[in-house]
Amino acid sequence: MSLKINFQSASGATQVVDVAGGLTLMEAAVRGGIEEIAAECGGGISCATCHVYIPESWRELTGVPSTMEDELLEIVPHRQPGSRLSCQIKLTDRMDGLVVGLPVV
Amino acid sequence: MQDVMEATGSARPAHVKPDQFVDFDIYAPPGEGKSFYEGWQLLHAQGVPDVVWTPRNEGHWIVTRNDLIDEVFADHTRFSSRVILLPKSAGEQHNLIPTTLDPPEHRPYRSLLNSSFSPRAVGGIEAQIRDVAAGLVEAVRLDGQCNFTTAYAEILPIKVFMTMFGLPLEDSQQLKTWSDATTRADGTISMADALARIAAYLQPFLDARKGKDGDDMLSRIVNGKIGDRALSDVEALQLALQVLIAGLDTVVNFLGFTFLFLAQNPAHRQRLVEDPDLIPTAIEELVRRFPIVTIGREVVTDMEYHGAQLKKGEMIVTATVLGGLDPTVNPDPMKVDFDRVGARHVSFGTGPHKCPGAHLARTEISISIEEWLKRIPVFELAAGADVRVMGGIAATVNAVPLVWDPATTRAV
Ligand code: HEM
Repeated sequence: MSLKINFQSASGATQVVDVAGGLTLMEAAVRGGIEEIAAECGGGISCATCHVYIPESWRELTGVPSTMEDELLEIVPHRQPGSRLSCQIKLTDRMDGLVVGLPVV
Repeated sequence: MQDVMEATGSARPAHVKPDQFVDFDIYAPPGEGKSFYEGWQLLHAQGVPDVVWTPRNEGHWIVTRNDLIDEVFADHTRFSSRVILLPKSAGEQHNLIPTTLDPPEHRPYRSLLNSSFSPRAVGGIEAQIRDVAAGLVEAVRLDGQCNFTTAYAEILPIKVFMTMFGLPLEDSQQLKTWSDATTRADGTISMADALARIAAYLQPFLDARKGKDGDDMLSRIVNGKIGDRALSDVEALQLALQVLIAGLDTVVNFLGFTFLFLAQNPAHRQRLVEDPDLIPTAIEELVRRFPIVTIGREVVTDMEYHGAQLKKGEMIVTATVLGGLDPTVNPDPMKVDFDRVGARHVSFGTGPHKCPGAHLARTEISISIEEWLKRIPVFELAAGADVRVMGGIAATVNAVPLVWDPATTRAV
């Protein structure tokens, strides 16, 4: 058993990454070699290079940004209502099938 | 529960409730080195509150649940990194950056480190890490035995540091000796002396790289800016030193726990031999099961926190071992299960200080397992081995003596 995370590029292509758990969404993306996620700071909420879009239907599970995350989201290009730093989303078993939009980089 | 709830003779501070009062030495959990993780688990027993106070190490709080540890790590507004080491009087002396800074001061220093730790940067030195790893395994393969700690675990991480910093590999052992002396005095050289020697060693490299556009980590640090001012030499040294100290004992001992486990659990090991693609998943489970780091935060202001009356200036311990082993988030937490789904842990910390070296560490471990199992797929712990796990800022395994039949090994 594993969690399947669907990363959708701006071009429309989807890459499915299979992970077990204990990871943040950013770490799952790095594991899956998702190019759009540079993840420079390794999850220390200090860089904003792991920006993703969470579709509305998943937002209840993924939660809302903290104040620090929110400040960093101010500096990402093309912030949208579903914008999140993927390092701040901890994967749980209820997130199997999660759909994640990737930014243009 | 007897162990931790016994009275110690030390007085219970008036603001600590009787059921919050435990006798627990974070640096020497019950079990005399023979059952380190089980010793910590006593704090997860029925009836122990989520926040407890121990009089040991000058007296401090401990948060016992994964989600609270996560919160204490991450919320600098209530829990400051000004002091992170226990006992507090010793922690006050430790002022390395970026670890002892809170946001917003923390960020520009952290940013100077980030690009060197990014998955892209780590990818760039992967081949070099693999060469070192392969060389170390090959060196012992036909011997049929080794102390994994000294033959492998203590050598790889310092060589990785030298590679990242663009320092001569032949100086590895020297720098490692000094670095070890900064975290544990062995009597030969004092902590202050060790720090001075590391500084003296690094200074000429700092000078030579200043103003040049080298893309090794040391160059990026010395040429770094904090806002619009240049980083000072003292700051550059402190940052370099923090990376050195943070990246050695952690990886040395995590490698130790990993190979100790693989030596004693042939079925798990065999799965990785047959299916190397499972290694990253297995590492995640091992990171959850064998957390290493025990540090803390300083309480910023008087507050009520999950039933405890915290006072400004008190220390609150974030023991990462209590995260991944918390049975309320991970059922049957002592069991290593590579098929576990949705596990939680805080082994690399959380929040602004979350370990920037996590991806590098995972890469080092993954390469180590791959290169070892390719050559030595069958091995076990030497008969009569006296393996002890000691508490500390980083938990340590004293020795991992391994044996195998050279006939079952493979040249690669
Ligand atoms: C299995 C290996 C490792 C573990 C378990 C680990 C664990 C941790 C933890 C728990 C923290 C958070 C400290 C805090 O919140 O106060 C941390 C921070 C840090 N780690 Fe690691 N670490 C590991 C490997 C590494 C490596 C390989 C490096 C670098 C070569 C490294 C460099 C750092 C640095 C520089 C910090 C401070 C970050 C900051 O204050 O912003 N770590 N590590």
